[in-house]
Amino acid sequence: MYAATTIGGGLGTGLLSFYLGLGVAALLRSLFGFDAWDRDFNASIGYIFGLIGWLMGVGMWGTWGREWFGAKIKDPHANSRKELGWQRYFMFNVDHKVIGVQYLVTFLVVFILAGAMAMVIRLELMDSGRDFVSNKTYNTVLGMHGIMMVAVAVAAVVGGLGNYAVPLMIGADDMAFPRMNALSYWLVPPVAVTLLLSPFLGGLETGWTAYPPLSVLTQSAQTFWNLAIITFGLSSILGGLNFVVTVMFMRAPGMTWGRLPMFVWSMFVTAWLALLYTQGFAVALIMVTLDRIAGMGFFDAARGGDPLLYQHVFWFYSHPAVYIMILPGFGIALEVIGHFSRKPLFAYRYAVGAFLGILGLSGVVWAHHMFTAGIPNYLHGPFLVATELISIPTGLIFLSALGTIWMGKLWLRTPMLFALAVIFNFACGGVTGIFLADVPTDIHLQDTYFVVAHFHYTIVGGEIFGLFAGIYYWFPKITGRMYNEKLAKLHFWWMFIGFNVTFFIMHWPGIEGMNRRIADYPQSLETANLIVSLSAFMLGASFLVFIYNFVNSWVRGPAAEANPWGARTLEWQTSSPPPVENFLQPPVIAGHPYDYGVPGAAPHVTFYPPAVGSPAGGGGGGQ
Amino acid sequence: MAVIAAHGAQTHGAGHMSPAKRLQVNRVGLWLFFFSESIIFGLLFTSRFFLLGTHQEHVDQFLGLVITIVLLASSVTAYTAETAMEKGNRKLAAWSLFATILLGVVFAIGVGFEWSVAEFGIKTAVEGQDPHNVVWGTVFFSMTGLHAAHVVSGVLMLGLALMMLLRGHFSKDSHWGISSTIMYWHFVDVVWVFYYPALYLVAGGGTHTG
Amino acid sequence: MSKHLIPAALLWVVLTAIGEATFFLDWLPVVGSPEAEEWDLIFNVLLAMGIPVFTFVVAALIYAFWKFQTANEGGETGSPFKGTGSFPKVWLVITSVLAAISMIIGLVSLSNLQVDKAGYGWGEDQAPLVIETTAQRFSWTFAYKDKNVELLSAKDTELLLPIDTEVKFEIQSIDVIHSLWIPAFRMKIDAIPGRTTFLTVEPHVLGSYDTDNNFRVQCAELCGLNHTLMSMHIRVVEQAEFDEWLASKQTKVSR
Repeated sequence: MYAATTIGGGLGTGLLSFYLGLGVAALLRSLFGFDAWDRDFNASIGYIFGLIGWLMGVGMWGTWGREWFGAKIKDPHANSRKELGWQRYFMFNVDHKVIGVQYLVTFLVVFILAGAMAMVIRLELMDSGRDFVSNKTYNTVLGMHGIMMVAVAVAAVVGGLGNYAVPLMIGADDMAFPRMNALSYWLVPPVAVTLLLSPFLGGLETGWTAYPPLSVLTQSAQTFWNLAIITFGLSSILGGLNFVVTVMFMRAPGMTWGRLPMFVWSMFVTAWLALLYTQGFAVALIMVTLDRIAGMGFFDAARGGDPLLYQHVFWFYSHPAVYIMILPGFGIALEVIGHFSRKPLFAYRYAVGAFLGILGLSGVVWAHHMFTAGIPNYLHGPFLVATELISIPTGLIFLSALGTIWMGKLWLRTPMLFALAVIFNFACGGVTGIFLADVPTDIHLQDTYFVVAHFHYTIVGGEIFGLFAGIYYWFPKITGRMYNEKLAKLHFWWMFIGFNVTFFIMHWPGIEGMNRRIADYPQSLETANLIVSLSAFMLGASFLVFIYNFVNSWVRGPAAEANPWGARTLEWQTSSPPPVENFLQPPVIAGHPYDYGVPGAAPHVTFYPPAVGSPAGGGGGGQ
Repeated sequence: MAVIAAHGAQTHGAGHMSPAKRLQVNRVGLWLFFFSESIIFGLLFTSRFFLLGTHQEHVDQFLGLVITIVLLASSVTAYTAETAMEKGNRKLAAWSLFATILLGVVFAIGVGFEWSVAEFGIKTAVEGQDPHNVVWGTVFFSMTGLHAAHVVSGVLMLGLALMMLLRGHFSKDSHWGISSTIMYWHFVDVVWVFYYPALYLVAGGGTHTG
Repeated sequence: MSKHLIPAALLWVVLTAIGEATFFLDWLPVVGSPEAEEWDLIFNVLLAMGIPVFTFVVAALIYAFWKFQTANEGGETGSPFKGTGSFPKVWLVITSVLAAISMIIGLVSLSNLQVDKAGYGWGEDQAPLVIETTAQRFSWTFAYKDKNVELLSAKDTELLLPIDTEVKFEIQSIDVIHSLWIPAFRMKIDAIPGRTTFLTVEPHVLGSYDTDNNFRVQCAELCGLNHTLMSMHIRVVEQAEFDEWLASKQTKVSR
């Protein structure tokens, strides 16, 4: 009932406002002497109206908006009440744990849909010749697979696991701006709906990068797509801002910077990246939109514009975006490896330094995506050097991970398997990155399947494996139930093998002359593509195991203990799932989170006043 | 232990932190928001020079100067409102807010007038102009447009703040609603401090390259 | 400690040897020009450097997976070293040196590729044969400069290039961004509306699309629905055959 009123209210006001916006736009256009109807223009205004209507209708008005007019608001925490059951996930809820679950489930659904699109792509590419889908469908599927997976990579870990775990891990009772946190989430459904509608609004032609002049000239759903991505960017920026302030100000007493768990560090750096760079994508797409609906000429060379302006602005965000994607993967991997190796995290300070180093360098490497784009020759050298420099901090992540497992007591549960796979996959993705960073080799490899293989190795191999490590790691905490270990291990090995066969082989057609984003290729590449397609189907099928295990364990898995992993960090020292206020007694941090087996190490957490009947405060040696 | 006590055994949501800490957190959040916005403005600013170097078409220098002075004056009145509020002088605060809104509206109208008399379009070249400079219109309208949108939203927020003040909300010790709006207004002003020279002054005055 | 170091190092050596052995496979595509030769060289050098790095990680992971796993019953803990000694510094130096080497390799080769420091393209600025290339959705036009011959890409036409002659493609686009890529020469540059980019190659092997699929021009930047179709076959021929072909084309045009 509550869920239905929320979603129904949001949809109702959203749609009404959308039509209102269409009308206002038509009125304004005719007042200023234009044709009253221009699809892209009117719909853009309608979209903005509709977005605001949706947010207000979904609950923002009652819990926030009324305050701006000095009126009384409803208690925003009322929607967190446990008695609401599953319905609280469908309401404008300010509890970071609820928002984390909302993000996580939403983006898992998006992930599955985008994965299904990858299956369509591989079906088309199974043999040469164009036979399975039309060019238009192919380009649409390609673009949607790209952007939806980018969205998953940007938001699933940060929005989902980050929202859930970060306040718990630093001993806060919520994020710094709980209502803005809810706003960040509720911006996402309109984005998802608009993206999913784009095949019916004219399809997509430009891939996820939306390079003009094509994105300006194309007759497709480009304008809607732009608006959706700008909205998503807004959500990302607000989320980033929230994390930065939360980690800066909401830490429990004694949680010094030197005692922050690695996952929190990675979220903090990621949040800075999102806050610093996401505007680039938004501004680039605003320019495209203005070119499209207002006839402006940013990218029209005939009128003095420059198509390369877009690429500079776009990659100014979109290269740092790959660190927004991969750093959370590293964070989870190091976190899990630390706890499951049962020894202190190796070179903690260097690993933190690596995160900060990547943050520092991420803003000066964007043009390595443009080595063959006709940028002036003097730009190549500096960007080559800056790009190669990134490998040094990245190497420190490997130092930390390998140093931690060395001489450890590895407890090979599923989260640990996924975490180790992150290190394995990223080693491959990192090495292939060198070829793309060096301009001379990049000239041939740019825009080929070598690049496709490379970024799937880094993003899927690095982050998505990290995402699954995190999902299995925090599953008992989030749901209060335990997943099925056998099925989870089956999922891991199936996915690991399917992934590596698919993408390792994919490097080869790239070198052999297969460019990306094509529906057809020369016949000499058929064998490789057939193998890639077949193993891609295998990879796709592995997620069926995951879905079954995830849903089934959540509904009827055995109850989980508060601390099934015997981990020292804070989130495991409260019940599973945690109470609304996270901790019944305020936590005090006294020791390092990874001091397993260190003689005389203080426990990471104590509670004040000492907890009665709650799990032991951060056992040094696990259970 | 005072810290821990303040943290509270009965905490329930972040809404329950101490007012001083809440204010600090809000302030940092707002600064980060400005920081984030300044990157949007900065990217457009950079694009202007990327596309055109220091080239500039003819703009009305007098009008530009007038609206700049108006906007800078509005920052002074906004500052007066803030200090008045800190001293608890609600009447002065209300009048200053009103003056700020008035100046903001004048600025917005000025920009609108500038748009209507501009000697360049977005789409096509004006007679006698190099078609390669038509992008000037794109740059000018998008930069001033983005800024004007912020001015208009600022005016609306100031209006809300004024309305609430008149209805008896806010006090000497608790007026974050007014402070944040005024900080936003200052931010919008500072953006214009960069945009004005970039659009009006950079080529040393009204060079008409016709 | 050395109880583990020696077998792990052995594993690393073995894996590296297997990796480096792939050089005997000769799996890179056809080498159509000196540019491609240079590319293969750099690619192989970087690969030779990259394989030990990759196998180092893999060896450490496999060894740890195999030797250090426990069921974690009774809450065992590992050796509590924290990595605060000199080892991270040594690691930092080694990775920096590796990064520096790949930078230097890249920069040296880049300086060979860029004769014109302010231009937009690869290779020599001057060439005996200049082909003015125009890209549009979804075809290429190749005009042999001063030769009065113009080719429009189509299924059965071929772009003829003379062997051992420097050919400079001057590339423009009239609508959206395209990219001229010739896999056999390992060369690629985008076609950008509003500016002229170029690339210069010197084919030194006879060949055609029928002998190897990489003798083709391929658009490598998504340019719209029929992006896939925007390719054209290349045939590298002897100078005499080229002149003859050119003459036959010229008569057709002049008629």
